[in-house]
Amino acid sequence: MRTVFENIKGDKAIWAVVALLALFSFLPVYSASSNLEYVVGTGTTMGHLVKHAMLLILGFGIIYGVHRIPTHFFKGLSLIALPIVLVLLGFTLAQGTTNEGANASRWIQLPLVGIKFQTSNLASVVLMVYVARYLTKIKDKTITFSESILPLWLPVFLVVILILPANLSTAAIIFSMVLMLCFLGGYPIKYLLGIVGSGILCLTLFVLLAKAVPDIFPNRVDTWMSRIENFRNPADTEADYQIEKAKIAIATGGIVGKGAGKSIQKNFLPESYSDFIYAIIIEEYGLIGGFTLMFFYLLLLFRIVVVANGNQTIFGKLLVLGVGLPIVFQALINMAVAVELFPVTGQTLPLISRGGTSSWMTCLAIGIILSASVKEEVKKKSRSKIDDTNPLEVLSGQL
Amino acid sequence: MAVTDKNILTRLYVVAGFLFLFAAAVLFKLVSIQLIDGEKYQKLALKRTERMFTIEPNRGDLISDDGSLLATSVSRYTIRFDAVTVSDRNFKENIKPLSEALSKLLGKSSSHYQQLLRKAKTNKNRYALVARNLDYSEYMAVKDFPLFNKGPYKGGLIVDQKTVREHPLGKIAERSVGYERVDENGYYTRVGLEGAFGEYLRGVEGKRLKQKIANGQWKPIGLDNIVEPKDGYDVISTIDINIQDIAHHGLLAQLEKYKADHGCVIVMETKTGEVKAISNLGRTPEGKYYERLNYAIGESHEPGSTFKLMSMVAALEDKVIDTSTVFDTEKGTWRIYKNTVRDSKHGGYGKITAAKAFEVSSNTAFAKMIHNNYKDNPERFVNRLMSMGLHKELGLPVKGEGKPVIRYPGDKGWSGISLAWMSHGYEVSLTPLQTLTFYNAIANDGEMVKPRLIKEVKELNTTIQKFSKEVMNPAICSKETAVQMKALLKNVVEQPWGTGHRLYSPNFSMAGKTGTAQKNYVSKDPDKLQYISTFAGYFPADEPKYSCIVVIHEPDRNVGFYGADVSGPVFKSIAQKIYATSPLVDEVDMRDTKDKATERSYQKYYAEAQKKYNKVPNVKGMSGMDAISILENLGLEVEVRGNGSVKRQSISQGTDLKQVKKIVLELS
Repeated sequence: MRTVFENIKGDKAIWAVVALLALFSFLPVYSASSNLEYVVGTGTTMGHLVKHAMLLILGFGIIYGVHRIPTHFFKGLSLIALPIVLVLLGFTLAQGTTNEGANASRWIQLPLVGIKFQTSNLASVVLMVYVARYLTKIKDKTITFSESILPLWLPVFLVVILILPANLSTAAIIFSMVLMLCFLGGYPIKYLLGIVGSGILCLTLFVLLAKAVPDIFPNRVDTWMSRIENFRNPADTEADYQIEKAKIAIATGGIVGKGAGKSIQKNFLPESYSDFIYAIIIEEYGLIGGFTLMFFYLLLLFRIVVVANGNQTIFGKLLVLGVGLPIVFQALINMAVAVELFPVTGQTLPLISRGGTSSWMTCLAIGIILSASVKEEVKKKSRSKIDDTNPLEVLSGQL
Repeated sequence: MAVTDKNILTRLYVVAGFLFLFAAAVLFKLVSIQLIDGEKYQKLALKRTERMFTIEPNRGDLISDDGSLLATSVSRYTIRFDAVTVSDRNFKENIKPLSEALSKLLGKSSSHYQQLLRKAKTNKNRYALVARNLDYSEYMAVKDFPLFNKGPYKGGLIVDQKTVREHPLGKIAERSVGYERVDENGYYTRVGLEGAFGEYLRGVEGKRLKQKIANGQWKPIGLDNIVEPKDGYDVISTIDINIQDIAHHGLLAQLEKYKADHGCVIVMETKTGEVKAISNLGRTPEGKYYERLNYAIGESHEPGSTFKLMSMVAALEDKVIDTSTVFDTEKGTWRIYKNTVRDSKHGGYGKITAAKAFEVSSNTAFAKMIHNNYKDNPERFVNRLMSMGLHKELGLPVKGEGKPVIRYPGDKGWSGISLAWMSHGYEVSLTPLQTLTFYNAIANDGEMVKPRLIKEVKELNTTIQKFSKEVMNPAICSKETAVQMKALLKNVVEQPWGTGHRLYSPNFSMAGKTGTAQKNYVSKDPDKLQYISTFAGYFPADEPKYSCIVVIHEPDRNVGFYGADVSGPVFKSIAQKIYATSPLVDEVDMRDTKDKATERSYQKYYAEAQKKYNKVPNVKGMSGMDAISILENLGLEVEVRGNGSVKRQSISQGTDLKQVKKIVLELS
């Protein structure tokens, strides 16, 4: 145990923020558990807490393990992982688990442990690392658009296309995060605009196709349309019902909130423990709770910027931003949905929501960030030596 | 495109700045929801999630004088079946035993229920009706039936409970017991005792604040109700179900015999004014009778000859006559202003005293008595009647009391013949209960007691309010007058010339006055002429205990219509049943001599049974029954051969009990 603590490296502030968020996450899970128990009727309230604790402990194991990996290893790892991820995504989409009749093939069942795994989360992290690697590789070159199609945009589009039918919002977020990373990495802006344009074109085509031949992707497109329609023009529908409940939760929370577990709206808000958790947190802990949570995410953002700044390599910088900013962005999206600044999406609140495996992928990203923050210490000793002996580095160089 | 640390940083600031702005926007929106729309959503929250529920109090029981229930609230259960929630396996396994159990309990065939349940299953019916209006014990039985014992989710049992008002007496006194209904505007329809004492019976609604939780359920907020429900009080009425039963059946029999339109009976306790029975029966087009309207209290009509009592009391009080004043009945007719007063007996009664005029019910004598004595000052007569309270309603709590009519000189309809006609009960109008109240006052030597239907209001065993005798008028007349009239009322039955003599029985005494009023006499069509037959009085004649009036409207004229014939027998049967059949006291010696042999054997058994054993006892010589009892209590299996007392036991005395399981006894 002592060695474990001695081996904790990297940015201590990030460790602290992550640990605090993880601890805080027990409160909404505790609150939601009674309702889960009552409505779904499986397990016990204590069971939900224990399960959450187990997931978090494993998550911290992931952080610890990943942050010990030298940063440049990720270049090669992303190359190996990308094809695997594509296969997994394809498999997920093909199996088509239905969610209330809508095609929500987002999960695959992990064998043996019986946990559902959302492949898009893993894909997101892997893809960001891959893109960071590519941008680092071309940092000193002037490239043409056509040169970047095969190594950059093909994998990006493959990932996005495979996620899109089942989970538009995640696909859109991954796509916009890739664009953001390209922007940060100095990829020519004129090309980026072209990509955005073609991306919109693709989406339009997809929607039209789905409308014309509704059997291919049943119901999902209708869900998006109605959600967006609702955001623009609120009417008395399901999404509107959710938003109204979320607003009631926020309004009745007041400054200090109703107290732990005393939320009333959790009974009526579907996904009160994930999609609308921010509203429930404000209902129970008031503006104080809401602002504090936001403060921690912004602190995380600040530390990510600091780590990126401190890292000496271009890859390190882009890697940290590539996996770190999506965490903050997703958190903001989740909060924006709760306050009706954004249409209803299925995004969870990273590290807080009782999301199960999605929190592991957040942990993976955190681990990568921490690894990058470690690097400067390690680098002084034996950078060149590691570079030479890393076979993955060689593989990365070849591509 | 040279990427340097520096330009990454610059771009990063742009991105981070954008994220900060985003965060600021979220927080701004958050605060604005609380500040700007806060109130609206807080109200919405209350509207959507909190509701005040009313808790219905239990309505109190309406109890008769003798403690029987007249009306009580009971739960009724309707059983429905949710065919969707039941798994196919459970359904298949249980449908047959369930159908058979239902069939046994509810009477319909087993296949009927099988079909019903299967149909519900095929149609995915989640609310299929199985049985209606089950009482509590039936409901408990159904709950334990196969499949249903798995509860609402696995078994698909749906139970709807409702509270209904039951009348254990059934149709008897139904109208007097009445009901109370409230419509959505809070307006009460009140009938009978239930309506009259609704305030006591109703109780107070409780209020409970509840919060909506998932699955459309509501959970109570806080530990206490906002308003505690308060169950209604029990009301003990004066009705005695035995007397009510007698009155009901007596009236019913007579109505059927005379094919009358309707009738009523009131029995009242003389001293206290407690109404012991009140029965109202009306005829349906099919010729059946049921409690239709509260005629006894609600129907005001011309009383006819029973009013002669009031006339005579007035005349005696005003001392314009005494009982020996002689009137000439003039061959039974007397012309007055072109109108003729007729006696029912053709040819009249000759010259008779006022007393006999009352006993034979002579219309001419009474017309003369009142007309001649008051014609110069008719107000005096009417004032006298009014001083006896005959023009006022009794002021009963039961709604719908009929209005009495006593005209005053100068009123619309008053004429020169009014006095003569009022003297024998026309041009006046009284309800049966009002008439009875007056008769009761005479029976009470002039003290007029208010008729009363309520005795006590109770909460469980605690008395909330007691109602006692209420005197309306301590003396409507002098005691002498009352005593004189009582003698005359007695003579109506006892004297051979009395109109009620046919009711006379040497076994018990009663006093009263017959009345045969014409109805619809205004129309000249003789076919429409109908009668109202009345008998009002009290019994026993000398020390009145109960007053009673029987009124029967529109008896079939071909069968009979005189008060003494139509109503009198009902009166008599009530009096007879209450008094003539007083219970016999038979004394029987208690035989409590003990049989010595039995006693001894019991003592032996008792001694053995009280001992604690860990070894097999000696039961030889004991009676078989006792031995079995003792051994079985020790946990042994006992096999018995033969009859009588124990001759041999298979395991001998003193064997350790732990080693023994079964013992065989041989009896002889």
